[in-house]
Amino acid sequence: MRVQLYGTCLIDTFFPETGEATVRLLRHFGVDVAYPKGQTCCGKPADSGGYTHASKKAARHFLSLFEANGDPIVIPSGSCASMVKNHYPHLFEDEQPVKRKAESVGARVYELSQFLVHVLKVHEAGLKGSGKITYHASCQLTRELGVREEPLLLLESLEGAELVHLPHADRCCGFGGTFMAKLPEVSMAMADEKAETILSTGADTVTGCDHGCLMNIADAMRRQGAGVKVKHLAVVLAEGIR
Amino acid sequence: MNSAHMSIPFRENSVKALGNATLRAAMKNATGVFTVKRADAVSSVPLEEWREEASQTRLKVLENLPHYVDEFESNARRAGASVHRAAGSQEARETVSSILRDRGIAKVVKSKSMVSEEIHLNSHLEQNGIAVVETDLGEYIIQIAGEHPSHIIVPAIHKDRRQVGALFAEKLACKYTDDPTVLTAIAKQVLRQEFVSARAGISGANFAVADSGTIVLFTNEGNGRMCTSLPELHIAVLSIEKMVPTLADLPKFIRLLPRSATGQLITSYMSLITGTRRPGESTGAKELHIVLLDNGRSTIVNGEYREMLKCIRCGACLNACPVYRMVGGHAYGSTYPGPMGIVLTTLLEGMNRAHPLLDATTLCGACGEVCPVKVPLPQLLRRLREQRAEEGFTPRAEQAGMSGFGLVSRNPTVFRLGQTVARAFWPIAAALNPGAAIKRLPVPAGRTFQRRMS
Amino acid sequence: MTRDEIIERFIQNAANVAAEPVRVRNEEELNQALVDVLAGVDAVYCPAVTDREKAIVIPDHLRTDDYVNAAACVEEVFGAIAETGSLICSSQGGKIVQAGLLPPHHVAVVSAENIYESLDDFFSTLGETPPTNVTLETGPSRTADIELTLTIGVHGPGRLSIIVI
Repeated sequence: MRVQLYGTCLIDTFFPETGEATVRLLRHFGVDVAYPKGQTCCGKPADSGGYTHASKKAARHFLSLFEANGDPIVIPSGSCASMVKNHYPHLFEDEQPVKRKAESVGARVYELSQFLVHVLKVHEAGLKGSGKITYHASCQLTRELGVREEPLLLLESLEGAELVHLPHADRCCGFGGTFMAKLPEVSMAMADEKAETILSTGADTVTGCDHGCLMNIADAMRRQGAGVKVKHLAVVLAEGIR
Repeated sequence: MNSAHMSIPFRENSVKALGNATLRAAMKNATGVFTVKRADAVSSVPLEEWREEASQTRLKVLENLPHYVDEFESNARRAGASVHRAAGSQEARETVSSILRDRGIAKVVKSKSMVSEEIHLNSHLEQNGIAVVETDLGEYIIQIAGEHPSHIIVPAIHKDRRQVGALFAEKLACKYTDDPTVLTAIAKQVLRQEFVSARAGISGANFAVADSGTIVLFTNEGNGRMCTSLPELHIAVLSIEKMVPTLADLPKFIRLLPRSATGQLITSYMSLITGTRRPGESTGAKELHIVLLDNGRSTIVNGEYREMLKCIRCGACLNACPVYRMVGGHAYGSTYPGPMGIVLTTLLEGMNRAHPLLDATTLCGACGEVCPVKVPLPQLLRRLREQRAEEGFTPRAEQAGMSGFGLVSRNPTVFRLGQTVARAFWPIAAALNPGAAIKRLPVPAGRTFQRRMS
Repeated sequence: MTRDEIIERFIQNAANVAAEPVRVRNEEELNQALVDVLAGVDAVYCPAVTDREKAIVIPDHLRTDDYVNAAACVEEVFGAIAETGSLICSSQGGKIVQAGLLPPHHVAVVSAENIYESLDDFFSTLGETPPTNVTLETGPSRTADIELTLTIGVHGPGRLSIIVI
């Protein structure tokens, strides 16, 4: 089977190894990965700030890259996947043809863990893991996409790794896109508390499905001088197929 | 009063709050307890069904608000109440003070009312020589502290027992104690005297029932009852969106409001007050005046933010909000804090004053999840941000940056160029702007993912 | 639900909120229950509005007419609601609702046949002209305004006893 991969601007710019891990993982399970060229940003940062004019430009560009065929679109980010699936149609309320296009493209979108569990059944594949892992559940992933169980199923299935429960796993880490720049003190306080909670679990690794959050959490870990590793779910799982 | 024209300095307030260790501990404790209690209280009920029904009933009222307000007024009059409509805060305050002055009343007991905060009633009455005694324990505490409520259900939540103890010792000239039971007993004794000697009581109302002219009061302390049926005169102030169509509509709200607010199945007291004391009756005020406050709601109800008026003031969104729990209610600089406060303050006080509040959210969505009447708070917040940007209330640099973003995101070549430039200038930018967001981001990768995939 | 199930549910829910519900079968048991509940109380207010109130046996030397300063109020209330464990105190028939809410101990007698199963069952009977005051009383008064520490007995009664007959 074939999928189209949307890399996301954060992975593209800051975390290409997550993109590589995603590709490795999908190929390992027999998926042919197409990667449309010319990807930029899904538009979420502008959209959250209320700049619909700008986010529409990003959205139109995204749709132009992905409208070609009916393959599933896999996105290793809850916030980007939700932006496309849930927000794009609303952006184009008064442009019915574009709205319809957005709806049909959105219907093909899977956040990565959704695809791995529901289509590829990776949680039954006996991947290997190690150490003590805890999981941060990001906001749009849980509350907009309804993805709560899938990452846990995948992590629980890792033979050799121990998944420890993170208290208040779905409490916001304080990233919020532009929020971290506009209210940095509150954002850092929220991230520090998230980091403290992670540290209290005794885990050596924290994982999640959104690099915005992971970046923010890693920064808090750095502030606290903690040695907890911060890795995207794709990286953790790909390590299990070596 | 200049502060009405200045915008709320939320960031400054939030930094101050973050530095207050007592406040932070109190907020974490309180919001933590309430979220657990609420979760327990809704765990084995058909919550989604209840929320939808409640939402539909509120929408039905909002779709025809003038009709329900007229109906309420006519039925309340039929039951013996005097009903006054107040277009704005000033009219509402003056209606209340003139009712009291005309009867030579110099002191009132008061049951908690957020709308009375909204219209700044207490200070107006004090300025007119009328003493106000707050009788809800939390309101009483902040009254003697000279503060405003920081939470719509538990007004003094930002204070710990030592602070309350010190406050009582200073203002009530009693021996210092930090035992909440003893402190409560001290307040009870003081307030009991006030209740039985008061000639007038002021309350708000949680709901108003249109087809019977009934006002509904939920309390745990019984002070609501004490303020409204001991004195001969009762003045109730409420905003017009509190209407429900019939008494038979109340159970769905009785099931949701206490659970959402404190995790209780029902508050200790729930009073339905319909008009004045009738011949042959021994209960009820001899005189009941109901002040119906508009203060912009007639305009809001006809606009795209109508759903905000579904709010039943339970406070669940405050307890769920990760920002509110960090900074507490005073940081929001207005009557209503937390997520519902951001929206309502912007709608009632205007974008000019309230626009900084729109930064006080990560749009995490926790508020919308817990609202018992399905106010679409995340969508309303996002839409207000859109409106804020359209009206030019965001910083110039941000507007320019976002225009640039639009350009870059539809042009892959420019996008890749931007990444190259960013990578090259990262160390310089980081050095020039210590403390800025850039320091919290990692260094851009040497080879982008796109590069590796080509 | 059968009448017995409704009564049981009411008693369970009232007990859950620290009201002290007991069930009696007749007037004799009612008076005995009152003696138990009022042990040591010396100023009892008991209105003589309903027939049952008129028939309640309380020695004269323990009675007072001053409900503001009484130690306990014994009265028959209008009804109750099983769903929430609430008493229905109504001003109907000339009852003084505040008399039950000022003394520190409220002793409420309620007829088993006046217990409604659900909130809806009761509210649907109210129509468009309810009595001036209808108060649902659920457990003793309470506050948690100081550090969320629960304190009972502010400002209404700190003790609520319920006798279902």
